[in-house]
Amino acid sequence: MIRIYVHPLPVRIWHWVNAAACVMLVLTGIQIRYVGLVNVVSFRTAVVAHNWIGVVLIANFFVWFFFYLFSDKIRVYHPELNAVKQFHAAVRQLIYYGYGIFKGDPNPHHVSAYRKFNPLQSMTYQIIMLLVLPIQFITGILLWNLTRFAGIVAFFGGVRVVDTVHVLIFISFVFYILVHAYLGTLGRTPLDYFKAMFTGYEDIEEG
Amino acid sequence: MAKLTLSGRTGRGSFVAGAIGGVVAAVVLALAGMSMPASAGALSDGDQQCLGCHGSPGIEKHLEDGETLSLHIPGNTFAQSVHGAIGCTGCHTDINLASHPPAKNTIDTKRKFSTAMVQVCRNCHSEQFGQWEQSVHAALVKEGNSVAPLCTSCHSPHAVIKGAAEDMDTVPCKTCHGDIFTAYAASVHGVLRSGGLTAAPLCFNCHGAHDVSVASAGVGRRDVCLGCHTEALASHSTWLPNAQLHFNAVSCPVCHTPQAQRVVVLTLYNSATQKEVPGPAGIPEFESLNGSPTATRTGLDPATLMTLLKTLNSKDVEGKTIIRGRLEVRTGLEDHELTVASKAISDCNVCHREGAAAFQSVEISVAGPSGMPIRYGASKEVLSSAFSIDSIGGFYAIGGTRITFLDVLFVLALLGGIALPLGHLTLRWAFKRYLSRNPRQKRKR
Repeated sequence: MIRIYVHPLPVRIWHWVNAAACVMLVLTGIQIRYVGLVNVVSFRTAVVAHNWIGVVLIANFFVWFFFYLFSDKIRVYHPELNAVKQFHAAVRQLIYYGYGIFKGDPNPHHVSAYRKFNPLQSMTYQIIMLLVLPIQFITGILLWNLTRFAGIVAFFGGVRVVDTVHVLIFISFVFYILVHAYLGTLGRTPLDYFKAMFTGYEDIEEG
Repeated sequence: MAKLTLSGRTGRGSFVAGAIGGVVAAVVLALAGMSMPASAGALSDGDQQCLGCHGSPGIEKHLEDGETLSLHIPGNTFAQSVHGAIGCTGCHTDINLASHPPAKNTIDTKRKFSTAMVQVCRNCHSEQFGQWEQSVHAALVKEGNSVAPLCTSCHSPHAVIKGAAEDMDTVPCKTCHGDIFTAYAASVHGVLRSGGLTAAPLCFNCHGAHDVSVASAGVGRRDVCLGCHTEALASHSTWLPNAQLHFNAVSCPVCHTPQAQRVVVLTLYNSATQKEVPGPAGIPEFESLNGSPTATRTGLDPATLMTLLKTLNSKDVEGKTIIRGRLEVRTGLEDHELTVASKAISDCNVCHREGAAAFQSVEISVAGPSGMPIRYGASKEVLSSAFSIDSIGGFYAIGGTRITFLDVLFVLALLGGIALPLGHLTLRWAFKRYLSRNPRQKRKR
């Protein structure tokens, strides 16, 4: 068993702030959208909290963005530049989660300092961080002050269109957060990946 | 032929009475040599001659349509009115005193005569007349409305006193809009005004004096309110998220008349002209709804509304037809029942929740020929249907008008997010148990 340093401090800070903010945004979002069904805090409190947490999430995004942009760690997202190979590796990983894991097959992905993500993770995280989250930021900012951004909102088809996109991403995040947390238990032990996200070190079997 | 008679009946002075009265009075005085009433001493000799006849209660004329027109002009009242200074012939220039009576005009109806005499007012009051021509009152007159007010409807020509329209007791609007005035009088504005606060608005402050408009049209009411309540946006912004948006999409009485019924008004606009689209003709689904100012609550469903917009936008016209939504109170009466700020609705939950009363009534508004909006009923589902995402993209209240389809997706995502890990975990456990009991299967792999 060897320990390798896979999660630098800025990434760990970003990750947990991101996780907390996302969960809080989902919860306040549920309160905002389902007043009457959910009555934990007032609508106004939920809106104000949602707005401020959104600001934190956006600021935190740039911690992630600039850390990877200005460090060689960006390689963790592209250990394999051949798209075909990357695709085949992603399919292998999917087959493992969908079938092999039940039979006790070994995980086809082997973690190293610059290969900490399996191909599915790498692909999913990039879609989320470079596409989904920015769209959510933009729609959130537009909804935050619809009067100021009235022209842009109208360009996109109106507040209902902007809100629908925002809510669709919110819905997908609800699903993602639950599945992501579960996948986090599929390490050598159920808590391995969680511990690694706090300590930065991951224990891997030699050979 | 109209007949002139004297009877014991008394009537209210009017322009019509004046017109006829002037003629009759001059001739009667000339022939009979009657003296004028002592109370009208401020008037000229000629006016006093007129009042010799027309100052007598009971003088009246039978019109072509069978109605009776009083020609009685109370001398004192006329002398004290602002028109006393110009005298009878100041307005009744068509009367030839040399031949009146017996010469007399034929009058078909009071309305026709009053409509014709409006042009006399224009001679001196051209500015006010020009404003009136732009008003909703004038638009109704042009439409042929037989009770829409002319000059003399509000300003009794033989008794007009300066400032009468600025007094709650004499403001002429309440003659026709009595129920609304009663609501106003009991409102915070009316109570303050009757208490002596002249800064509190009376009818003309919000609706204009001669260029009378429907204050509720579009954001008109908001602008009217902000005309006095200049700090309203700043004060609302201290506690109300997206205050400016609320000002644009929610009319002030929606919150400041807490007991009012509310209605979402979806107005069809042309994006190029930025004006309300006239009633779309030739679209059967729309025409069959029988639009009226008191629209029924059922009507356009979400799919029909979407089709309607597509049809309108497929026509070869400049600009795109878009829908702007606005939450308003249901009746003009409720618009005037404003209460003090401390009793206004400030609880967001009143509207931002499923089933909120504010979103149970929906109306589609188009421009009517007189400028008065025509409203068509729509089903409340247009606010929560996925079909409406594009068609009424401009109106949305979080929680209150949320799209049902997205709620279904949310529940599926939540259940899927729980079921998938649980299912996966269960399968892992089941396989592990199976393989531990069947080591040969394990070895095979």
